[in-house]
Formats: sequence, structure tokens, C-alpha cells
Amino acid sequence: MKKILTALLALAMLVGVAGLATAQAKKVTVWCWDPNFNGYSMKEAAKVYNAAHPDVTIEVVDFPNSDGVAGKVQAGLQAGGAGLPDIALFQDFQIEQFITSYPGVFADLKAAGVDYSQFASYKVGPMTEGGKVYGIPFDTGSTGLYLRADYLKQAGLNPDSYLKNLTWKDIVALGKIVKAKINKPLIAYDTSGWEFLRMIVQSAGGQFFKPDGSLDLNTPATKAGIQVLKDLNDAGILGMTEGWGNWVSAFNNGDSAGLVSAIWIIGTLKSQPTNAGKWIVLPTPLLNGVAGAQNASNWGGSSWYVFDKSKNKAGAIDFLKSTWASKDPAALGFYNTILKGAGAMGTYLPSRSGSNYVAKDDFFYKSQAVYADFAKWMEKVPALRYTANYTVLGSALTPALSKLFKGELKTPEEVIADAQTGYKQAVSQ
Amino acid sequence: MSQKGNFAKYLNRMGWLFIAPALTLFTVFMLYPIVSSLYLVTRKWKGSTDSFIGLGNFVRMANDSVFWHALGTNFFLMVVQIPIMVVLAMVLAVVLDQGIRRFRGAFRLMIFLPCITSLVAYSVLFRILLQTNGLANNLMIGSGLISQPIAWLNDPFWANMTVIVAMTWRWTGYNMIFFLVGLQSIDREIYEAAEVDGAGKLYQFFRITLPLLVPVILFSVVTSTSGTLQLFDEPNVLTNGGGPANATMTAALYIYRQAFVINTDFGYATAMSYVVVVIAAIFAWVQIRLLGGERK
Amino acid sequence: MSMVTPRSVPRFFLWVGLIVWAFLSVFPFFWMAIGTTLNPNDVVKGILIPGNDFLSNVDKATKNYNLPLLFFNSLFIATMTVLFGVTVNALAAYGFEKFPSKVREGFFGVLLLTLIMPQIAIVLPLFREIAFFGLLDSSAAIILPFLMSAFVIFFLRQNFKMFPTEIIEAGRIDGAGEFSIFWKLAFPAMKASFASAAILMFISQWNSFLWPLMTILTDANKTLPIAMSSMMSAYTVEYGGLMVIICVSLLPVLVLFVTMQKQFVAGLMGSLK
Repeated sequence: MKKILTALLALAMLVGVAGLATAQAKKVTVWCWDPNFNGYSMKEAAKVYNAAHPDVTIEVVDFPNSDGVAGKVQAGLQAGGAGLPDIALFQDFQIEQFITSYPGVFADLKAAGVDYSQFASYKVGPMTEGGKVYGIPFDTGSTGLYLRADYLKQAGLNPDSYLKNLTWKDIVALGKIVKAKINKPLIAYDTSGWEFLRMIVQSAGGQFFKPDGSLDLNTPATKAGIQVLKDLNDAGILGMTEGWGNWVSAFNNGDSAGLVSAIWIIGTLKSQPTNAGKWIVLPTPLLNGVAGAQNASNWGGSSWYVFDKSKNKAGAIDFLKSTWASKDPAALGFYNTILKGAGAMGTYLPSRSGSNYVAKDDFFYKSQAVYADFAKWMEKVPALRYTANYTVLGSALTPALSKLFKGELKTPEEVIADAQTGYKQAVSQ
Repeated sequence: MSQKGNFAKYLNRMGWLFIAPALTLFTVFMLYPIVSSLYLVTRKWKGSTDSFIGLGNFVRMANDSVFWHALGTNFFLMVVQIPIMVVLAMVLAVVLDQGIRRFRGAFRLMIFLPCITSLVAYSVLFRILLQTNGLANNLMIGSGLISQPIAWLNDPFWANMTVIVAMTWRWTGYNMIFFLVGLQSIDREIYEAAEVDGAGKLYQFFRITLPLLVPVILFSVVTSTSGTLQLFDEPNVLTNGGGPANATMTAALYIYRQAFVINTDFGYATAMSYVVVVIAAIFAWVQIRLLGGERK
Repeated sequence: MSMVTPRSVPRFFLWVGLIVWAFLSVFPFFWMAIGTTLNPNDVVKGILIPGNDFLSNVDKATKNYNLPLLFFNSLFIATMTVLFGVTVNALAAYGFEKFPSKVREGFFGVLLLTLIMPQIAIVLPLFREIAFFGLLDSSAAIILPFLMSAFVIFFLRQNFKMFPTEIIEAGRIDGAGEFSIFWKLAFPAMKASFASAAILMFISQWNSFLWPLMTILTDANKTLPIAMSSMMSAYTVEYGGLMVIICVSLLPVLVLFVTMQKQFVAGLMGSLK
């Protein structure tokens, strides 16, 4: 009797453990920031997946900003992988640093069967290493120049006449008129970063790093880009703000007449309902005098990555493939939903057939069909090589640009020289 | 006399027992991490790989102008902010203790209130208040104090002023309480005797109060110095990771950025941390020597 | 040397100075409270008249964050830290002060040195250690490393200096054990000091951000500062909702301090001799 009981007990425990194991195998943990944009999008994807796989739990955990997630991931990696999720969100400019610093930490999704020809090519670049591709591209950072049509009118201009491909020289002229007539800077500028310059250089197909990874700032695109910033600043067209929150206030409260940003700022614009009907979106201005320049660029954007040693790697990959990289109508429907729900435009090319992609948006001046515009511009975005030292470069260029605005540095060459010194010191030798 | 010896042994054992829990926690959660991080000092770290580089980190530190600039920012903040705050705290305490009788509790509560805020929360508040078009500038322009908005967060000089203003707001009440307590322990009879001798209030302050408050001043200065040397949250949140042209980059903030944001060089970051510790220790030692006191 | 000035004039300036500083100290709290009722853009503009958005702000604050749960987590962690921490630190302070020995003084010195250690340097080794113990994503991970506080031990030790050794010796003659003496004689006499230590430890743990961020892995175990920081760094900052969370997070500390103000100040008395 005792033996039977013991055997039964052992069997029960075995089943229990097996049950636990399968229960664990049916959970996918995702780390991201901003619950209203990234978290929301992932949860919508989870809904679609759960319709077909109700037994899988997808847990989306929110942490403060991309540095918070990156910091936690680093701590976990330093502790031998303790506490890491299955999937984490990373900004596109961060990822090359992780891939270089932690080889083999992410799962090769190309080998897992993801068809990357269906994603915008400029997003796939940063996540590629040799023959391996690591992530699932998420949102596009397709940029545009947002302007307040009502301010343009106040300055005696016709907004519709600007709705075309312009150059930065045109914008400087426009800004001068607006400043003279209504005394507002045309473009709100966040001094805590250097993304504006990067955006200009990227729009011209420029690079900051040579293919071998070494820094090269002496390029026509970079010099011309710095000159544009100088011209804008000298004409008083840049509304200087420090930090994200203050930058947002500047354009939402009307201190500045516009901003250059990506499609994902639309949610933020809509958070100020009194501005409904006032915003017009122009194509990204073209950089004068540089061959290969486009009226399109990118700002931000992140992608999802699966950890190679995660508990439920197979489950995570299946989830991502079925929702984010699938031509299944339910999957495409999810892309359509998040576009309207959060202004999140994915970079999965087949999803552009969604109804929201061509819909007009009443929040914008004359109900401009902004998403169609951004989708169109997204096709022309030149690819940028971020490299592992992208953040280091930023830490050197941002102070140099500050000095340019203060007048301590006077020419693009001086700014470049200053940044190169700063870069040499900060980069890990 | 073995009985005395036994008693001494017993006392000694008791002493160890009392400090045992704290010492265990200290060894496990403080000493071990510190010792294990010491080994990082001689290593060059890049993500998941590290290699021995001897004193390489220190050589790099010597040439790292951002690090020295950051330390310079710490010193600047120390030299400007601490005297202002300590003097202010002392004056407020003296006024509350000797000058004003009514509503003392209410004033004390109000002035201490800033100290209960979290560092992150109050930095965010000040960030919003001190925007170029924010409330602070608007009030000052409206009341005619200034004609142009001050670029609190955009200008390198004013960014440092912002940090100083924020820190003073946050910590003056805390130090004021210490001064209040110190004042309460001064015998009133000394003042009465001085009054009888014809000494005025100011004389009383400088000749009686001030010398008796030296231990409190020392405590205040030493704790504030070590706090300022470790300053991290305010520059990070208030001025977004270092301020315009790295104007408000402090040592702790730079260390964090080297470890987590710019590079993943934990070896270098740890080496810098220990340099900061040594500097802080020197400062504390100098201050204790100068201002005297029985503190170890 | 005597100052011959009418007493009323300098008194007036004293009052003005005091009121100005008290006002400056309190104003941001007032602005925050009003902010909970305004829409996000008005908060930033600095409007000081209450608006109508309180309920919608509360909704925004609770939409993505289970505020009651986070509040409870923070409260639980801070309370446990205080209960166990004050005990551990008080025992240690008593041990250092009333059982002097050269070796223990050495340890005390080492303890004080750790006060100047930047937290960043030990974050990673400590994280690895906590992971090794299997304590990630638990309140123990947040509580344990912060139970022992060199500052509190130093502070309590200064207070214990005032506790007469004669009482201890009298207790020994009566045959009481050392811990009994501590609990029955020292503790009741030093209640104010313990109250001060409790308040200091509570405030510190209640507001702590970096370490909980590192060790918490799931929504259910988060603390209030994490939610606060998350709101602050979103693409669209809901300032009104943020004000709500900040106010909620201030309340317990405020209540604690207001009710224990007297003990707090009295407790600090001893630490400065």
C-alpha cells in the first residue's frame, strides 16, 4: 500500500512539474516603454495571437523609457541572463551597440523563417550582422515638417502653397517671414540631443561612420547639415528648448510655429485638442547642394528582439511571426488598428494596404491624409549606419552643437573638430 | 583577577552579538559588492567581454576631459551651493528659535516639507517650473523683476544655477532642523548674562551662538559635501543627462553614462567611482580637521 | 557694543524672510495639487486656478498603473524596512556605543566609509548577488540591502551617548541580560530617537527608484516611483495624471511627518552633541 501511495505521489509530482513546465512554456514576457504607444501596440498584437492561441499568456511589462529597458537588460546580461524577458524593445540606434557588446545574445530570426524583404530596408540594416538578422522592425520614424497653418495665415502666407517638396533654404526664408510678422520661431528645437542634425544628414544619404566603423565627420552632408543649423539659428528660427517635455510644450502651447519630427509625434499633437485643424505636414526639407538628398528622413523608431537564451524562445518567435510578420488578414488588421489607435505606423510593407493608411485625419489642416504621406515618404528614407558608437558620437556632437548655437564655434569645420576631440576621449578604446 | 577578565570577555561577546545582524547585512550586501567591484578597476570591460589592462583605466581617466569637467562641476556646486544653504539654514533656525515665537511649528513643517519629496519627482517639478516659458519666468517678468526670460535650462551658467536653486530648495529645511536642535541645547542663561552685560543681538549671534553651533555646521557641511559629490538625480532629470554642453554633468552622472548609456565599460566606470570615493574621503578628513569635532 | 535699533524694524524683516522662504518651500506642493485638476498643457503653463480635469487625470494615472497595488507595494516595503532596519541599526548602535572595543571601532570606521560610495559602482555586483540568491522580482531584494544604514547607526549612536551607563550597570546588578536591558531600559527612553530614525529610513526607502527599477521584473511588484518615472518619460506626458501620482506618493510621508514632528525633532536632539 505504502509503495503504491509513494508511486502515486511521485506521479502526481511529476505531472505537476510537467504541468508547471508546460504552463511556463506558454508564457511570453515582453519588456517595453510607453504603455500608450509600444505597450498598447504589443497588447493589440497579443489579442490577435490569443484569438488563435488562447492558452498562451503574453505579459507586457512597462518600464520607464528606452534607457530603463536597456539598463535592465544590461544588468540581467551581466548577471548571466537572470531575470531577462523573452522579448524586449530597443531603439534602432541602440541595437548595434548591444549586438557588438553581447555577441549571440539575440535570436537569429532570419534563420527562424522571417521574410525580411517584406520590411522597409532601412529598418533591417541596423539589426543585421553578417548573414543573421535579429529583430522584428516595429515603428517607422518617417519624418515630416509639421507647421501651424493658422500661424502661417497670420503671417500673411497661404499654407497650401507650401505643401510640396521644399529645401532648407526655402525654410529659412519662410522662417524669416514668420519671425518678422508674428515673432514666433518656426521650429521648436530640443537642445538636449543632436537628432536634428542626424536627421538632416540621413536625408541626404550621408553617413557618420565609414564601413570599417571609424568616425568620418568631414563629409559634404555633415558640413552642409551643420551649416543649415547655423543658418536657422542665426535667423532666429529655432525655438530652443531643453529636453523632451519642454520641447513638447513649446509646440503644443504655440510658443513655436512648428517642429520637425516623425509620425509618432501625432499622438502627442493630439493631446492638445485645441490645436485640431491647425497642423499641416510638409515633406522633410531637402538638403541643398548634396547629391542624393531626399525629401525624407527618419527619426527614432524601435524594433522587437528575442533573447536567444530565453525560456520560451520558440513561443516568442511564433508569436512575433504570426502577428508582426504575417500577411494573415488578422495580422494586417492589427497593424491597421494601431495606426489609428496610437499613431503607430509599422514598417511591414504589406500592411500599408490597411484602410487607416489612406484615411484622412480630421485633426489636421483640411483633413490631410497624413498617414498616406508618411507611408509614401518612408519608401525614400536612406539607410543610416548607426554602429556601436552612435551614442558616443552623440555625447560629443551635442555639446559641440551647443557651442555653435552660443557662438563659441563659428563654422562647421570648427564644430567637427570639437566633436572629433570629444569623441576620441569618450569612446572606449 | 579572572572574574574581571571573564566579565570583560562577556562584555566583548555581547558587543559582537549586538552588532552581528548589522555587520552580517553589511558584509553580504555592501562589503561583498564593493570588493567584487574592486576587481573591475583593472579591467577593460565591453559588454560581455573583459580583459586585464592594469592601470589603463586610470591613464584614460587622466586624459578624460569630460571626467575632470564633471568633477569641476561637483566642486563648483559644492563651493557655491553648500555655503548658501548652510548659512540660510542657520539663519532660518536662529530666527525660528530666538526671533519669532508664534507659529514656530507651522513654519518648521512648511520649511521641512521639500525634504519629503523624491529626488526624481522634485526634479521633474522644477523642470516644468523653470522652462523658458514656464511659471517661474512668467512670474518674474510679470512682476518686473526681469525683462527677458532666463534660459534656466538652456544656458550652461543658468543650468548650474538651476541645480543650485533646486538643491537649496530641497535640502535647506533638512539642515535647518539640525540647527534648530543644536540651538535648543544652548543654555539660555548664557544669553541672559550677555544681555545684562549690554551685548546686542548681533553680537550675541556672532560671539555666542556661532561658536556653539560649530559641531552642527561641521555635520551639515560634511554630509552635504558627500551628498554633492554623489549628485546624480538632479542633473540627470533636471538637465536631461548633463545639461547644455555638459554644463551640469557631475561625476556620478558621467560614471552612470559610461557604464550604461554611452559605452558598456563597467571597468572604467568603477575605476572612476573609486577615484571619487578617495576624493570624498579626503574632503571629509580635511573638513573634520578644520572644523574640529569628535566625529570619526 | 550694542545695537540701538527699534526692535520692531528687524523683527519685521525676520518675519518677511521667514514667510518668503516658507512660501517658496510650500508653493510647488500647492502648484502640484492644483495641477491634479488641470489638463496637461495648462499644468505646464503654470495656471494656478483649479480646473475640471481631476477625474480624467485620475483615470489617466490609473489606466496603465494599478495605483492601489503600487501604493501597497511601496508601503509594505518601506514599513518592513523601517521595522527591521531600525531594529538592526539600533542594536548595532547600542553595541558600538555601550560595548567599546578597538576592533569594533575599526569596523565602525569602515561602515562610515561606505557612506561616500557612489551607488552606481555597486549596482551591478549587488544585482548579480541578488540574482544568485534567487531574489529577483521580490520585495526582499529591495528591503534587504537597505536594512543596514551606516548613517542611521551613526545617528543612533550619538543618541545612545546620552543614555547613562549607570542605568545599564544597575540593570546588570539586578541580574538582567544585556538584551533585556536594551529592550526594557534603553528602548523606552530613546523612543524619540527611534522615531526620527524610522522617519528617515521610511522617506529614503519610500522614494527609492534606481534599485527597485533594476530588480523588479513584473507589473505586480512595482513601486510608486517606477510608475512615476514611467509617466514622466512617455512620448506624451500626461502631466495632470503625473501630478496625481506625485500627490498620492507624498501623502503617507506627509502624514507620517506631521504626526511625528515632535518626536522627530526631539530625536535629533541627541545626535548633535
